[in-house]
Amino acid sequence: MKKINCLLLVSMLMLISFVHAQSKVITGKVINKQTGEALQGVNILADKAKGGVVTNADGTYSITVKSVSKSLIFSFVGFATQTIIIEDKKVIDIALVSTTTAMDEVVVIGYGTQKKSSVTGAVSKYQNERLDESPVSRLDQALQGKIAGVSVQNVSSEAGADPKVRVRGISSLNAGASPLVVIDGQPAADGLQFVNMADVQSVEVLKDAASAAIYGSRGASGVILITTKSGKAERPKYGIKFSTGAKTQYETYPMMSTTEYTNMLYYEAALKAQDPSIPVPTGTAVIANNERAAYIIENTILNGHGTDWQQEALRNGLVRNLQMNISGGSKQVKYYLSGGYQKDQGMMYHSEYDKYSIRGKIDVQLSKKAKFTFNFNPSYIKRERPSVNFIDFVRFQSFLPVYHDNVTAAFVNQSAQWAGIHPGDFVQARHFNGRAYTGLMPDGTLYNSGATLLDPFNTANNTPKSIMETHTINANDYRVVTSGDFTYTILPGLDFKSLASTYITYSTGIDFTKRNSSKDGEVNKGIYNQRLVIDLLSENTLTYAKTIKDHSFTLLAGLTGEKTSIKDDQQTGLDYPSDNITALATALQVVAPSVDANGVPQGTYNLKNQIGLTSWLTRVLYSYRNKYLFNASFRGDGSSYFAPGHKWGYFPSVSVGWVASEEKFIKNGTSSWLNNLKFRGSYGVVGNNRLSDGSTTNNGVGYFPYTDLLYAANYSFGAGTGTSTAGQAPSTVILGNEDLTWERTFQYNFGFDLTILKNLLTVSFDAYQSKTEKLLLRQSALAFTGVPSYWNNIGSLKNTGLELEVTSNNIRKKNFKWTTSGNIAHNKNSIIELGLEKYLLNQGERTELYYNNVGDPLIQFFGFKTDGVWLSQADIDAAKAKGLTSTLSNVFVPGGLKLVDLNGDLKIDNNDRTVIGNPYPDFTWGVTNTLSYKAFDLSFTFQGSQGGQLVNGDPNYNETKRYNRNYNTNRWLSPMFPGDGKTPYSTVGFNWMLTDYVVEDASYYALREMVVGYTLPKKFVEKAHISSARFYFSGQNMYFHSAKGYRGINPEGRFNTGPYNSSLLDGYQRGSFPMPKTYLFGIDINL
Amino acid sequence: MKQIKIFTAVLFGLSFFSCNKIIDLAPQSNISTVTYYSNTDEVRAALTGAYNGLQKPMNNEWQVTELRSDNSKQGSPGSTASTNRDLSDLDMFIPSTSHQGIYTYWLNTYSNIHNVNIILEKLGVVYNPSTGGISLSAITIPITDVDRKQLAGEAMFIRAYHYFNLVRLFGGVFLVHTPITPDEAKTMNRSSAADIYKLIEADLKTASGWMNVLKFSQINTNDLGRATSWAAKGLLAKMYLTLNRKSEAITQLQDVINNSGYSLQGSYANVFSIGNEMNSEIMFAVRYKAGGLGLGGIFANNFAPLGSGAAVVNGDGLGLNYPTAELDTATNGDNRKATLIGVYGTGTAAKLYVKKYISAVAILNDAENDWPVLRYADILLMMAEAQGYNQSSIDYINMVRPRAGLPNYTLATLPGVAAFEQALQNERRIEFAFENQRFFDLLRFNVTMTTVTSIQRMKDHFANEYYSHYRTYVAPAPTLAELWAQTTPEHMLLPIPQREIDTNTQLQITQNPGY
Repeated sequence: MKKINCLLLVSMLMLISFVHAQSKVITGKVINKQTGEALQGVNILADKAKGGVVTNADGTYSITVKSVSKSLIFSFVGFATQTIIIEDKKVIDIALVSTTTAMDEVVVIGYGTQKKSSVTGAVSKYQNERLDESPVSRLDQALQGKIAGVSVQNVSSEAGADPKVRVRGISSLNAGASPLVVIDGQPAADGLQFVNMADVQSVEVLKDAASAAIYGSRGASGVILITTKSGKAERPKYGIKFSTGAKTQYETYPMMSTTEYTNMLYYEAALKAQDPSIPVPTGTAVIANNERAAYIIENTILNGHGTDWQQEALRNGLVRNLQMNISGGSKQVKYYLSGGYQKDQGMMYHSEYDKYSIRGKIDVQLSKKAKFTFNFNPSYIKRERPSVNFIDFVRFQSFLPVYHDNVTAAFVNQSAQWAGIHPGDFVQARHFNGRAYTGLMPDGTLYNSGATLLDPFNTANNTPKSIMETHTINANDYRVVTSGDFTYTILPGLDFKSLASTYITYSTGIDFTKRNSSKDGEVNKGIYNQRLVIDLLSENTLTYAKTIKDHSFTLLAGLTGEKTSIKDDQQTGLDYPSDNITALATALQVVAPSVDANGVPQGTYNLKNQIGLTSWLTRVLYSYRNKYLFNASFRGDGSSYFAPGHKWGYFPSVSVGWVASEEKFIKNGTSSWLNNLKFRGSYGVVGNNRLSDGSTTNNGVGYFPYTDLLYAANYSFGAGTGTSTAGQAPSTVILGNEDLTWERTFQYNFGFDLTILKNLLTVSFDAYQSKTEKLLLRQSALAFTGVPSYWNNIGSLKNTGLELEVTSNNIRKKNFKWTTSGNIAHNKNSIIELGLEKYLLNQGERTELYYNNVGDPLIQFFGFKTDGVWLSQADIDAAKAKGLTSTLSNVFVPGGLKLVDLNGDLKIDNNDRTVIGNPYPDFTWGVTNTLSYKAFDLSFTFQGSQGGQLVNGDPNYNETKRYNRNYNTNRWLSPMFPGDGKTPYSTVGFNWMLTDYVVEDASYYALREMVVGYTLPKKFVEKAHISSARFYFSGQNMYFHSAKGYRGINPEGRFNTGPYNSSLLDGYQRGSFPMPKTYLFGIDINL
Repeated sequence: MKQIKIFTAVLFGLSFFSCNKIIDLAPQSNISTVTYYSNTDEVRAALTGAYNGLQKPMNNEWQVTELRSDNSKQGSPGSTASTNRDLSDLDMFIPSTSHQGIYTYWLNTYSNIHNVNIILEKLGVVYNPSTGGISLSAITIPITDVDRKQLAGEAMFIRAYHYFNLVRLFGGVFLVHTPITPDEAKTMNRSSAADIYKLIEADLKTASGWMNVLKFSQINTNDLGRATSWAAKGLLAKMYLTLNRKSEAITQLQDVINNSGYSLQGSYANVFSIGNEMNSEIMFAVRYKAGGLGLGGIFANNFAPLGSGAAVVNGDGLGLNYPTAELDTATNGDNRKATLIGVYGTGTAAKLYVKKYISAVAILNDAENDWPVLRYADILLMMAEAQGYNQSSIDYINMVRPRAGLPNYTLATLPGVAAFEQALQNERRIEFAFENQRFFDLLRFNVTMTTVTSIQRMKDHFANEYYSHYRTYVAPAPTLAELWAQTTPEHMLLPIPQREIDTNTQLQITQNPGY
């Protein structure tokens, strides 16, 4: 319509020009002065007459003006309006200057915006330019390595899995150490999961306490503010972005097949035979008979074709992303509508993630005084998760095929129990049990088990592939976020804003296990989950902005309230007549409610919980001549997590800034090269009350930590099988604490921003120190109290750190541009005090220890130092002759780890344990280079983490380490063949998990992402009536380097469930999922 | 006008959330311990919870008792799986101080003690650790004196049962007789074994006096499964026997034999039949109930042979608990064998498994079988043990032998103390096989008998099984000398979990010697 209107207008003007012969035509082109690009839609008026024309897509225009007209006025949103005197010119080309220069850029801060030049806190802004072309499925992953002090760790590579995001290290010890995510002013309970990258205008991170303090309670771990795109007052614009590609694993575990493993054993046995110090190996010492049987199956029955079980788990995942948007509007109504579809297949089979979302944003100027914004964001996510851990595939033996063929079926049919097996059925280890085996061994000898019947692999478990195919976990998430805010200008400068929003998510899941899925004789089982979260938020703020001569200030006062209701329901059905009908109505039995050993409700239940938060806040922003800046804020928060009398916490902040480059005495003489220099300093207090990760684990214990709750604990009384009788018992997991209150973080931040050489180089530097007091933590309790942990509020923690962000516009030629931006962050934490405790020791899932010691980093790994392996019994005897003793088990075993008698008392005991590492990197860094040459562009990001360690839990399991080359190469065999003297024989000696042998370097660097793009020339696309078209190719993790000595495949992988749910335990990895390598091809068209 | 409208809107917005309403929330899905226990029914429900709490320690109890005796062993010598490795360490008396099974047993036992202590506190039951006396204090709960004493008696029985196991397994443990806070716990060190026994004696004596005294036939069938005065007396007798206070044991046992109305079942199999639970022989059991109620036992699936598919029990077995070959031999010609030991497979692939707790399960780890804690047969054999070598004792042994299909003993067939003690220990071994009695029995025989010692019996056990079993462990297999060297009196006690020692940063907790 608008186009037609414009055409009509132009024709009318032309008509007029015919009528009035005294007129002339002026043509020309309008470009952007900074970029040289043509500007479309620039409004051109002759004098101040009505009407006028707009520029075409190539920036050209043609306007007919009366001969009396003196000037042309060029105006365009975001650019300074220019007036050109016509005189007798017939061609007027002009370049418009953008008004949104870096200095005047607006930064979103809590409950408002601020000019970047006035910001006094540590706020990082990341503008979404090509962010949505990142070959990752989530915004948080795309931010990896982009912002100093924001660490993003992909702890799991499963499709749609949440990465671990931390701002400035760890300031808190509880489940809520993730930063608060606020989308267009509304806190999002589910973090960045639902944010569509294409909808994002910019990302701001409030890093220091002073900036975050306005979010009081929830700002302790930093705040990530997302601003979504809005419509502009212009003709409708259409955008379509489509990308597709594949995701594959960067590497897999180096596992040996049964044949390779058997060959290794024979090779080792041959070596050992040469060693006179050990007795001639007996048959079982070389290789167990059941291992011979396994070898015979792979070599004789399967002709040497073993199964690569890792490849049975993995595939090339399909990634597809389609985003469409329409935006536009008039002065009164602006709109932005987008729809997206995203498909993210995991690398593992049955790992699926499909997201459909719509976002609508409408801004209405109701009157001169009233404004209304309406946001509507429904989305739907369909997920499937694999039912089997990748590690179960990794450790599975290669000699078992996935399905029976004619040969194997015929073989197992010989035993009566498995006579019913057909080709095509899943193979199970037990099918091969209790049979005689005959075949050639690697050394050429014939092995015949004779009358001895063998179990090649005795396990109760079915093969991981058969479980995966018969046990499916599906979930559907429905989410609607609706918010409306109404702003009314009561007096000039005085605005009242009221925001109300509802956030509703409803998730349903079906976890269905077919008959005989993981074990023979198991009935089929369906678990149905529903979770409803309703979050209501009301925010009411008054803002008063006023400038009096050189003084400008903005005052803010507000009241907010938020209430969250969480409802969890589950039903469990058993014994369905068909594996293919999963309706609960067909189940023979519905499982009764109960609570498992960890206090987690089981079977059938419904739970209701609530969280409430109410706050008031005030803030003043003041600046004098844009030179001297002062901000202060104060917030009070009341939380339902705490008992009456402990509910309220108060969070003040103050910050100052000095724009030195505005001072005359500096400006003079430096103005040629110094564009901006600002010093900033701040002090603020933020709080934390987030105790629960929101899971149903531990029932509602996280919602009401101040009181002890009772849980169902029934028992059967009465004759015969008895009757179930209702009982109640207190938590066996955690004890409450009625004195619990707010944890508070006090932080100083000092920094400067520097821009020099006509924006060639921009540097932003921050140094901070924070102290967190009254740490909310799940402290270990002595188990004889009856519970292993309790909520506590003790201790304080210090974080100090440095952050540097540098952007350099290396080359700024018209056709060739090259920008490098890099960031590096260092954070160090230490415990200042722990109440009455000197230290805390916490056990992980494999009894490995995490040590929290006053004066040291928050978490350190704790255990025995080792000094290689015991080379021989003689080696041990020599040590014992010197008086070395131990009452610990398995300390003196040749080929086992040699523990260091650290305190030199000749007694190896638990007093010899010490610090053996910590999970904190020395620094994390990221460097992005962006280059463009004519229509081509290239950007690539290197990102890394240096210096942290992890505890590798894989070697706790002999099943896992037996076939893994990393644990067998160069291992100790005998005194004569001690390997490298450092690698123990995998099954002997002291428990590795208690030693530094499993502490590995977690450093890495990676070519995280790379985007190559080509933008079609304007002339070309215009013919197709589109304003721009671009093709791009992007890749993720095309190169990944992990540290020497690391024995896993993904140094970022971490466990964060079970005991690792507590922040006192971190850095543990087990069965890491492969690192994804993604390639995408995309197309981006705008109309 | 417009201004008024706006202010109305503002006021509405503010009143929408009245501050305190939002943050004064209370749990909606659970009851708080602060408000519960306010009447008889609530205390009774809490006591039901304490009965439920008996189940969890039982999951590990066989590992720290039967597995460490000569009745069962870790049966996969070729396995290096961590589960089996942990079990082997217990089997061979070299558990790590960080052993997870030991810690889990410890935690779950103390969890239920915590549970019981809350109930007793709410009932106003006060234990005085210096005098060993138990008294009642004033309480506000409306409850009759009869109910109060019955409920308290049952709770004290449970507490005594737990401490009796703890003190025998760990020696002097932490004496927790009221609910304690984690901070208080840090100021507590281990008590002496004598002090623990003092509490057990006080609890059982008081409980047996406070609970209703009803003959088995008089017990309301709905109450079957609850602790009784007789069960308390039987357990007290066992405690006395353990402390070699034989005459006190005899007094209690005689009372049970004369007055309780409990009796032996005609057939051994019938004692454990899931169709005959809480029969006249079961004086106390930890009860399980199948049917997807979360109350089923894990033992059918834990003990069925590994890789047997659905042949023995639905959902396959884990094969964790294997009868020893010597027990298999010892039960030849004994009718009880059919109930105790099952065989899966044939020929050299045949596997023995513990059959006592296996019944058909519809879902995994959901078996019906109760786990007997105190049986009337135990009362009879304890009487024989307490009385020592005489005709009366032989008569008591003979009461349990007919149903085993074995001939009666006489003074002639048991000529002397050694033969009598050998016969008695063997009778107990088979009669109570896999009921977690054997290990405690062996320890007790050190004091109640003169010719049977636990160390020698365990050494013999290792020797008997060495060539068929321990020698076949993956290299390096333990030598018999090593096994014997590990079989020390110190290793008869378990280590205090390392986590307790590590967690208390204020007091040094002493580890048991030998660890």
